[in-house]
Amino acid sequence: MNILIVEDESRIAKRIERMTRDILGDTLQSLKYANTLHEALQFIENNSLDLVLLDLNLNGDSGFDLLTTVVSESFHTIIISAYKDQAITAFEYGVLDFVPKPFNRDRLEQALNRVNTKEKVATNAIKFLAVKKRHKMQLIPTEDVLYVKGAGVYTELFLAGGKKELHDKSLEKLEQLLSPSFERIHKSYLIKVSEMKEIIVESGSKYMAELKNGTRIPIGRTKYKDIKAKWF
Amino acid sequence: MNLRPWYNLLLICLLFLASSCAQKPVFKKHKTVFKVGDQQEWATKNWNDQDWKTRKPFMEDGQIFWFRTPIAILKTPESLHPYGIQLHVYGEYEVFWDGVLIGKNGNPGQEVILGPEGSLWTTHSIPTHLTQQGEHLLAIRASLLYFGDHAGIWDMDIDYYDDLLTDRLIETSYMHIFAGAFLIASIYFLFLFLGHKKEYATLIFSISCFLFFGLILAEFMKTYVPIHYSMHVTRLRVISFLMLSISFLIPFYFSMQFPFPKRKLLLIIYSAILLFFFLSRYVYELTANNMVFSMWVFSFGIVTFGVYKKMKGAHLVMLTFLLSLPIAFLAPFNKSLFAGFSLILLGMFYLLSLRIKEQRLAYENSLVQSTRLRLELLKKNIQPHFLMNTLTSLIDWVEEAPDKGVLFIEALAKEFDLFNQIENKTLIPITQEIALCRSHLKIMEYRKEIDYAWEEEGIDVEQKIPPGILHTLLENGITHSLPLEDNSIQFKLIFESNKDYKCYTFLTFAAPVRQKANTKNEGTGIKYIKARLTESYQEQWEFTSEPVNHGWKNTIKIYS
Repeated sequence: MNILIVEDESRIAKRIERMTRDILGDTLQSLKYANTLHEALQFIENNSLDLVLLDLNLNGDSGFDLLTTVVSESFHTIIISAYKDQAITAFEYGVLDFVPKPFNRDRLEQALNRVNTKEKVATNAIKFLAVKKRHKMQLIPTEDVLYVKGAGVYTELFLAGGKKELHDKSLEKLEQLLSPSFERIHKSYLIKVSEMKEIIVESGSKYMAELKNGTRIPIGRTKYKDIKAKWF
Repeated sequence: MNLRPWYNLLLICLLFLASSCAQKPVFKKHKTVFKVGDQQEWATKNWNDQDWKTRKPFMEDGQIFWFRTPIAILKTPESLHPYGIQLHVYGEYEVFWDGVLIGKNGNPGQEVILGPEGSLWTTHSIPTHLTQQGEHLLAIRASLLYFGDHAGIWDMDIDYYDDLLTDRLIETSYMHIFAGAFLIASIYFLFLFLGHKKEYATLIFSISCFLFFGLILAEFMKTYVPIHYSMHVTRLRVISFLMLSISFLIPFYFSMQFPFPKRKLLLIIYSAILLFFFLSRYVYELTANNMVFSMWVFSFGIVTFGVYKKMKGAHLVMLTFLLSLPIAFLAPFNKSLFAGFSLILLGMFYLLSLRIKEQRLAYENSLVQSTRLRLELLKKNIQPHFLMNTLTSLIDWVEEAPDKGVLFIEALAKEFDLFNQIENKTLIPITQEIALCRSHLKIMEYRKEIDYAWEEEGIDVEQKIPPGILHTLLENGITHSLPLEDNSIQFKLIFESNKDYKCYTFLTFAAPVRQKANTKNEGTGIKYIKARLTESYQEQWEFTSEPVNHGWKNTIKIYS
């Protein structure tokens, strides 16, 4: 795993670093420490990462500009912050976990495990998906998202009204964040449960899920049983 | 504000004034004729006075002279209710009605020998049988030692004798109740002023009320204090002087409440005009009229300016001025004077109550503000960013290097202790503030692992400073700076003073954090500093904060 720690308090940064190395052991490939916003953004731009451990209050800035940027990236973000009251907002933006300060090794390990075990957030808290546009970030309300289609390392968000947006996160990562209001029905599809109208069996025992707007999305053979058990 | 009671009051006043003017007189006075000399027969009704002069004679040496006035009684009085006659005549005299002596005022012809006696206003009863409907004759045998040109009847009234006496007493007693209200207001506001010496508007209002009280007394005391005609001018002078003072004080008061440009100059010009009227008095009523008129115009101008500038309370005061206008036209001068003045004083009273309310609100606000600042100071140590980051570092120190962890805890304890000492103060010794900064640096050293250095220059240990303001600057310096290449950040506090001001310069030597240009809105820290400075020094301070080559520079100037 490639990890970036963004923290302006050197003692705390060292603590996070030490514990992360300890917890991840050999699975850790690289670990970098940035203590300013500027440094962090530059590093994110030029390196491929799997995880960012982020303090929201850097040098007196509230880190929400940084937050929108990081959550639009392909990697997962875990917030480590002194402000517990920011947790809800952070989850709304789509972070994997929020570790309040002061923290111990167990709590950090729990957070890091979420990345490894593909554990789902399951808070239903996410409200937006940040999408990179040419010069700015756009926050797409998850309410508007009907389903998500995997497209290689990227994903396509299909929105109400027929619009389509590209997201940098993989389908696996979005599944972790969007669960349980979204369900993985196919290796390439993640659909919003509330949008699903019925399951149609087509010839050749092909299963399709029909959405309220009429769109039909294939259901994976292996997933069908689960879904059927859950829904019928 | 509900204006209905005011309108009702006004209506009642107008009705009262109208009814008092509406009574029909029971007599008609004809031309008065004069003759110098002294013959008892001149009192008789049918004496031929064809050769008497209608022009007022100029009298000297207290010589006796007579004047005769034919009077028509228009209505025979009811039986057992005699008519009386009320006279406003200068001199000492005897009064004859149809040849019968009905009254005596002083000792005509013997003024020099016997000295002044009698009053300027007298009331005499007329025997009933002499007041049948028809022509009658009033003859007066008088002498005029003072004011020789004031011969004749200045004013007279014939009515039922009892009514003549009681009406004036009733009117006077009402006016005295009225005056008493102003006396009490005057005393109340005087005490208010003594309790709060800076409020000159209160004092001026108090004086105005007292002068108005004096004016009413001076005007109406003639009913019950016999004033000899030689003293009349003295009374008028007193009244004139009271009016002069009031006419000056009312616009002066409004000029304080509704400040306008070139106030001093305009007030001086206005006082000059007033003094001109006061000193050039030919006729008393005219002088008073001029003074009151100029007072009204000038004050109205000020209030109009206040309304134009949308100053608080100006509208209602404007209304009182406009109300006093119809009263001045409808009622006789001496009545409209009191009604108008009291309306204007009510307006002033209203303004004062507004100001008192404003002051109370301002005071309450300042209390709230102080509490807020105190809380903000307390919050510095428990706000999550400080507390949680400190605790996280602390845990780490304890886990990794317990000895150092203990030192860290001690530094933290010291900072908490210092905060406890200053928490409820508005000013603390500079040494205490510096100790606070030093202990904070120690904590931050453990957290950030940067070498912080603290330097001082020219500190005067006697000086005091609002708590937490250098601490706030230090916090900002720590947050917004990156260490230099040798992993150090240096802070320096310089104190300079001269006779005009004291100045603290707080310098940060560090590498700046590259930041987006969102420095427009100031942070809570700067707001705290400004609020604290205002709390202790009102407007007498200046605060600047700017980036410089070596890092950051803050200056706090406190003017003496």
